[in-house]
Amino acid sequence: MATDELLAPFLETRPEGLYCPAFDAAIDPPAAAARAIVSHAHSDHAAPGHEEVWATPETIALYRRRNPDWTGRAREIRYGERLERHGVTLELHPAGHILGSAQIFFEREGRSLLFTGDFKRRLSRTAVPAAAPQAEILVTETTFGLPVFRFPPREEIEARLVAACRRAFEEEKTPILLAYGLGKSQEIALSLAQAGIPTVLHGAAWKLLPEFEAAGHSFPLSRAYESGPAKPGEALVVPPNCARTPVVRNVKRRRIVYLSGWATREASRADFDADVLLPMSDHADFPELLQHVSDVAPRRVVTLHGYARDFARILATRGTPAEPLPSGTERPAREDAEEQEET
Amino acid sequence: MTEYRLLAETLDSVANERGKLAKIERLAETLGRLTGEELAVAARLLSGSPFAEWEQAVTSVGWVTIAKAAAEVTGWDLETIGACATAIGDLGEAVGLLRTDAPPEASGPTVLEVDAWLRDLAKERKAAGKQAALAGMLRRSSPVEGKYLVKTLSGGLRIGADVTTIEEAIAQAFGADREAVARARRDCGDIGETAVAAREGRLAEIRFRLFHPIGFMLATPIEVAEEVASELPLFAVEDKYDGIRAHAHKSDGRVALFSRTLDDVTSQFPEIASALVTLPGSFLLDGEVLAWRDGRPDSFFRLQRRLGRKAPEPEVLAEIPVAFMAYDCLAREGHPLFEEAWTERRRELEAISPDGALRVSPVFRVETPAELDRLFDEARERGNEGLMLKRVDSTYQAGKRGRAWRKYKKALATLDVVVTAVQQGNGKRAGMLSDYTFAVKDGDRFVNIGKAYSGLTDEEIRRMGTVFRKITVGRYGPVRAVEPQVVLEVSFDSIQKSTRHKSGFALRFPRIVRLRPDKTAAEADTLETVAERYAKIAGQ
Repeated sequence: MATDELLAPFLETRPEGLYCPAFDAAIDPPAAAARAIVSHAHSDHAAPGHEEVWATPETIALYRRRNPDWTGRAREIRYGERLERHGVTLELHPAGHILGSAQIFFEREGRSLLFTGDFKRRLSRTAVPAAAPQAEILVTETTFGLPVFRFPPREEIEARLVAACRRAFEEEKTPILLAYGLGKSQEIALSLAQAGIPTVLHGAAWKLLPEFEAAGHSFPLSRAYESGPAKPGEALVVPPNCARTPVVRNVKRRRIVYLSGWATREASRADFDADVLLPMSDHADFPELLQHVSDVAPRRVVTLHGYARDFARILATRGTPAEPLPSGTERPAREDAEEQEET
Repeated sequence: MTEYRLLAETLDSVANERGKLAKIERLAETLGRLTGEELAVAARLLSGSPFAEWEQAVTSVGWVTIAKAAAEVTGWDLETIGACATAIGDLGEAVGLLRTDAPPEASGPTVLEVDAWLRDLAKERKAAGKQAALAGMLRRSSPVEGKYLVKTLSGGLRIGADVTTIEEAIAQAFGADREAVARARRDCGDIGETAVAAREGRLAEIRFRLFHPIGFMLATPIEVAEEVASELPLFAVEDKYDGIRAHAHKSDGRVALFSRTLDDVTSQFPEIASALVTLPGSFLLDGEVLAWRDGRPDSFFRLQRRLGRKAPEPEVLAEIPVAFMAYDCLAREGHPLFEEAWTERRRELEAISPDGALRVSPVFRVETPAELDRLFDEARERGNEGLMLKRVDSTYQAGKRGRAWRKYKKALATLDVVVTAVQQGNGKRAGMLSDYTFAVKDGDRFVNIGKAYSGLTDEEIRRMGTVFRKITVGRYGPVRAVEPQVVLEVSFDSIQKSTRHKSGFALRFPRIVRLRPDKTAAEADTLETVAERYAKIAGQ
């Protein structure tokens, strides 16, 4: 298969996903595998039940927290540490997506491939900024690979978030912030704390705080939803799939803020019954995808997730040969990638 | 000189407010700042209609023309523009998001310039000319202006406010009575003129005018006669005709027919126009266009062959003659009758042509549900759909569905069908996979027989969306082909022959009754069953 020739000798496409023969490991496999190299701890990349997980220490800690009964083996790989097998070296680089997220870099005899996993180039509070090592082949995520997706810088999003909460308080309402539990919820808690706004965190986010604290963050203004519903002056942070559950419905006076790259679509207002749409995303937007391609300077690009076909076509017309990963090896990410993260 | 930017920003802030009161507040604030012609144009643009209803003008700028102009201005190819529109779910939003090179400040058009531009677009016949005009305007416009200009052309602002919201905003802005504003708009057919009159305290001076489309009063269905048992003596009962609902306007030598979609369909039915024009006086009638044969209504299937032809050929006119069956009179000799009771309107209707030159629907009165059911069977024997029940004391509530009018039409037995494709809906259900194409079994394959948009709750649609995303087998633009496994029970008004669907049949007015998770695709109804049912209907 043509794509496999591009990916060789580092990766192969298999029915169950991408596979690395040199390390005999599956890459972000969607089901339990003998050995998985996991780019980050979101559940659509870190399936439960692997016999062996290779990942950053942060990712492994988060994986353990979310899978308390897990009995497999862990191999911690720090950013910058190089492993070698069968002449192939493997190195993890920061991806800027969430705490512990990594891009996977392969090299052999002057040939190289970078697998981005999920990444972003904008700065965040809890993820190490993304690196952009040069590589011959770039396998990139394209969740938001269309030019309509341009996300404002973090400072602007945070200012709008604080303003939305303050307006809710003025109207004697509870701000309900719909954000997935690993990464975005903690970012929100940290930025609101800076503005002096306390947060009540859904269990999905609350249970992961020790891992963020281990990374040097503190959450003095946050408490668990289990300790009681939000009081006046507190913001409630829950995953988007709670939008139509009693957790949200029982709050009679509420102002719902939907925080996602998909909030670019005004139609998402109806999907989440949202008063405010804030395009806060942990994914690269369209200009960042282009920037990453430009910095990594690959000979060819392989795209996956979201608008893979469109982004490949756009890249090709701009002079970088690109193709989507053949379907069947791509998990059904599309519109639900972020939202379904906590399901 | 007021800039269009004010309107675009107002529309955006209305979209960003969830509460109806807040929306009205924002609209009222902007309307209150304007006067004269600017106010008239602004009221129209804020209600999403570029022209007064009576003007019957349309910009006729198609999706492809808009996409081409957007491609010209943004530098993106058509395929990318299309992918972006699908991803976002709205072409106007997508165009706004693609405008990253904002034009210099103060280059944006004024409200009056936008009005003149829209009128030029309506006059321009060629697509290339329309495209050039749109591209020129988009270049001058900021992203938010471009967004709403495109939405205005593509027929839907989607800001959660309809024309009644604008009516309320006008009332609030100028301290006028809401009902008086609504009445004035209905009478003059122009939200713009209405706004100016409200500002100047002249709403009462607006006189009723003919020849602009007016909303239709709609009926609430009843399932069984017993539902209305206690009210029955208060209802006038008529046959429910299986034709095309229309309002007929007549004055001096002129006749106009407007359809339920508020389109002028006069030229499609020349024999009706020439029959009505000979009647005395001026009037506005509500009634039904029917295929007519041997002095009685013919089937809707025959009428259908007359539809969509702007000027039917003489052979078609001869083969399928049509007639107008009048059942209400909404204005006569310059006087509106909307606020009169049905009894009074009926008296006016019957007075138009005492010699019977105007075909008027017979009225029945019944006392008991049993009598109503007997009348229902008789109506079906006459080839009609069922019965209409109209409260004799009710006024004509244009554009509203109420309980003063009821319809009684007993659906045919339902069919169990299998969903084969799904698509995102529009309006309130934009972004949800709410439109289902469905099929019946034909041996070991499935053949499509119809498409339905409603019947499920938002919650069900959302839940099914997750299922359909999982079983998607192909994507064709906005349409997802899905594995045939989800079974629905659909009801419908009739079955007809159709070349649109592979089955060779189409269901008329299909509605989803419920999901049938208890059934597998193998248990769906077959094409054979459909053919049998059709034979029965066609043989009626």
